[in-house]
Amino acid sequence: MTRAPVVRGLGVISGWGRGTAALPEDARAAAAGRPVLSLGRLARDGDEWRRTTREGLIAVAAAEAALDDAGAGPAAIAGARTALVYVTAAAYGASNRRFIEGRGGSIRFAETAPAVVPAEVAIALGVCGPYAILLGGPPTTLRAIHHAAVLLEEGACDRALVLAVEIFEECADLYARADRLSGHPLVEAAACLWLEPGRGTLHLEPGTPRRPNVALRRRLGETFSVEPLAALDYWRRSPTRGTLELAARWRGQSTRLLWTEAMMPFAEAV
Amino acid sequence: MAIAERIVIEAGGVVTPIGQDLEAFWSALVTGVSGISQIERFPVGDLRVGRGGEIKKLSRIKAWGRVPDCRATRLLVSAAGELAAQGGIRSVAPPRLAVVVGTALGGVEEGERALAGDARRRRLRDALYDAPAHNLARWLGAQGPVITVSTACASGATAMALGADLLRSGEADAVVAGGYDVLCRFVMRGFDALKALTRDEIRPFDRRRSGLLLGEAAALVLLRRERDAAGPRLGTLLGYGSASDAAHISAPDPEGQGLERAVRAALRAAEIGPDAVDFVSAHGTGTPLNDPIEAAVLGRVLGPRTPTVPVNSIKPSLGHTMGAAAVLEALMCLYAFRRGLIPPTLHLDEPDPACALDHVRGAARAARPRISLSTSLGFGGCNAALVLEGAP
Repeated sequence: MTRAPVVRGLGVISGWGRGTAALPEDARAAAAGRPVLSLGRLARDGDEWRRTTREGLIAVAAAEAALDDAGAGPAAIAGARTALVYVTAAAYGASNRRFIEGRGGSIRFAETAPAVVPAEVAIALGVCGPYAILLGGPPTTLRAIHHAAVLLEEGACDRALVLAVEIFEECADLYARADRLSGHPLVEAAACLWLEPGRGTLHLEPGTPRRPNVALRRRLGETFSVEPLAALDYWRRSPTRGTLELAARWRGQSTRLLWTEAMMPFAEAV
Repeated sequence: MAIAERIVIEAGGVVTPIGQDLEAFWSALVTGVSGISQIERFPVGDLRVGRGGEIKKLSRIKAWGRVPDCRATRLLVSAAGELAAQGGIRSVAPPRLAVVVGTALGGVEEGERALAGDARRRRLRDALYDAPAHNLARWLGAQGPVITVSTACASGATAMALGADLLRSGEADAVVAGGYDVLCRFVMRGFDALKALTRDEIRPFDRRRSGLLLGEAAALVLLRRERDAAGPRLGTLLGYGSASDAAHISAPDPEGQGLERAVRAALRAAEIGPDAVDFVSAHGTGTPLNDPIEAAVLGRVLGPRTPTVPVNSIKPSLGHTMGAAAVLEALMCLYAFRRGLIPPTLHLDEPDPACALDHVRGAARAARPRISLSTSLGFGGCNAALVLEGAP
């Protein structure tokens, strides 16, 4: 049992728009046959962003959305007392393919490292505390939240960001070959959760329904590691929310995260 | 990060270019064997540098029938074969056995093969970087958490720390933790394009250093809570620290501030001061940029003791093994205490005055370093440090 953090801010962006309030009622119907809902290349002013990858720009936008949600600026999270825990299942695929197929020049090899995406956030916002990068699907995001809570409980940091990013457009044909497109559309998404020390408890354990987040997934589509953070946003916007239980499944492994006393401070953050 | 409950490193298993078990690996390190050779497994004729620490033939596992045709997985299974033979894993209930592995490249070679036209669905699944860890868990019969870490070349250190977390939180009773990476055309072409590879030998901290060479390896340890570890052990993971540079996506911070924060955090977690450090296993890549930064950080942390704390880098022996590096270096630290010898840094003939440390060079040094500090740096400004205590 770990001491539960409280949520100071949560930013979610997806191919549908900003936050889960932007989701359609039925992702498959709204996608109208499109296998991938892309976020495109997010525009930013400034020459320093010219060479930043699409996934890097999306990551920074998600972190800024979390800041907006908390009503804070970058100064609130800059420095060595902020931890950054990044999760992705496949966001590195686009840069890998670009490098393998020789587009953009061999010098872009550095961008293939999964570590480069959170590095863009760290550099943009001056976050230089404890650091972890976990690769996998939705259960890994629950693991990342738990790891952030451990870092907070141990006093290794004063605040922690959990960042998840997934993009699909560049590898849509590969996902089609892997039968990933049979159910929901693949929806590019990113989310950033800003956590601070709290008083409740957080418990991560195996076991969950075979198909978690059915209602959310029907509206959101497939977002791999972003799904639990979208579920958190979905939950906080629900008028009938109860105890927070986040569930996830991937590669036959299922996990759930039980989070007490998240609601009140969370509501204040909203 | 404070590691409140002591976490024991009960056993280890490795597969490297200089030996496919711990004893062979150790013997090669202390006798100065080099595992660097011309790469033969894939074409390198168009690259500036075609040498590296390639494992020519995997010899431990005889029956590969149950193991996917994925080199990353096969390296992991080879290392796990040695670990499993030591018996500790068999006493753990499968749902209480976890797997945490670090990697810089995951199954990227499977992605290359898929893009080259191999249409098998398995190839695409294994191209996701978390696939080899799940394949390893299946081979071990582990049913606990399966985690893949990718803090670039610091991944192995992060994996060991997360493994310790799983034990302290009670999510597992034993953790197979470690790291791996394979030599493949993707990574060779990448580092070649960055002009990071040397045509010379790897010469960490030497005036003539001109770059690194890559190697492939897998290294695993079995972690247990001290109260659960009744049998023999290699040592104890006393502390871990990490920090981001927030400076550049691929180059280290010239001031080394992130590395220094990581080292100091690891010492704090271990509840020891720099005075207690007997030995430093440096990241020591042999690149012009890395080594003076690392030497400066060690100088700041160790203070007046800097000239008397032995330092080595084992990368000249086997190449930079990326995700496996920190775990191999941790095992080397524990063996150094057990055997009373510190392996030398190969090819360090003319120490750079800008890297003024007590380098172990020429031959193994007789010493018994109980407390070791191991440093790791990686792309994306990832920095990590481990503090380890050897067991007799």
